[in-house]
Amino acid sequence: MAYSEKVIDHYNNPRNVGQLDKASTEVGTGLVGAPECGDVMRLQIKVNPDTQVIEEAKFKTIGCGSAIASSSLATEWVKGKTVEEALQIKNTDIVKELSLPPVKIHCSVLAEDAIRAAIGDWKKKNGVAEPAAAAVN
Amino acid sequence: MAMTQTLAQSATPVCWSCGSAHEAHAQLCGSCGKLLPPVDADYFALFGLPRRLTLDVPALEKQFYRLSRRLHPDLYAQASEQERQWSLEKSSLLNDAWRTLRDPIARTEYLLELEGIALEEQSRNATDAARAAGTAKQQIVPPDMLEEVFELNMQLEEARMAAQDDSGDPELVANLHAAEKNYSAQMEALHTQLEQLWSAWDTALTAGDATAQEEAKQSLVALLNRRSYIRNLVRDVRQALDSIAVNRGENADKG
Repeated sequence: MAYSEKVIDHYNNPRNVGQLDKASTEVGTGLVGAPECGDVMRLQIKVNPDTQVIEEAKFKTIGCGSAIASSSLATEWVKGKTVEEALQIKNTDIVKELSLPPVKIHCSVLAEDAIRAAIGDWKKKNGVAEPAAAAVN
Repeated sequence: MAMTQTLAQSATPVCWSCGSAHEAHAQLCGSCGKLLPPVDADYFALFGLPRRLTLDVPALEKQFYRLSRRLHPDLYAQASEQERQWSLEKSSLLNDAWRTLRDPIARTEYLLELEGIALEEQSRNATDAARAAGTAKQQIVPPDMLEEVFELNMQLEEARMAAQDDSGDPELVANLHAAEKNYSAQMEALHTQLEQLWSAWDTALTAGDATAQEEAKQSLVALLNRRSYIRNLVRDVRQALDSIAVNRGENADKG
């Protein structure tokens, strides 16, 4: 299996590995799985309640190099974005950035799922219902 | 699939060499024994089987060897270019079919694929739907299962680190052995359930009961999804136990 250089870099130096306080109202947690391969990914975000900017992101992934790289990249990308901006990240963006081969596309899907799940959890905690309602700056 | 049906329904095919009629999926002409051109057949049809999941594997193996002897490229070394090509194509298809059908999981996944269920595609489509709706994706596997995978892996990491500096906590190792036993038992239970679902599918197929077939398919998908997590847990626990054993061995040598 030939991993791209970017995958190897993220795999060897994963960014933002760790955990945030799950109980905090500012933290959203996404725990998702890819049944095709049995990989599991947890991605957490800490959102500034005033600006809705994601100030902190952490992940922990049980899976292959591509899954780890995809989640590492996802945490880098969501940081500094608003919740709504982060929802625009597509798995295909991750595929492109990491040059993932077709058999590893599901890893990028998992990362997108994790972002959505984390944001979904944060919205639920904070009673944010509709995506359009968040466009206050 | 549509293609196979058309062939089966169309006029009986005839041998290209002697013109005798033969069955749609025959490999060799019954009259002159010449190799027949490849037809678009699924792996079950290749062996003349209905799409039943309960399979007599030893019988299939005999049939595989019998067929592969007859189709083997060595037999056609002196034949026409066309026949040599057919022999190669058919032999390679036969090998793929045997490798897929003999394996319980590969066979089940293959049937689901034939029936229009591609697991990975399904997952990707669900993500696309979630993105379009601006929501989180509905997870196929219950969150408890994911939590369990997470927790066990934390334990494994701890165990690996402990093993490296030989502080190998006996309680931790005992936990791992218990986990190994637990997940292996779950794998076995899943296999029993799988065989039950095979029967459910086979019965529904024979009865032509579309609703029951759909139910069986969905249950098979759920089982395979769950199984991939348990399989990884068994694999990871065994790897951790192995590395602990190796480290201990090395440390014992040093001491």
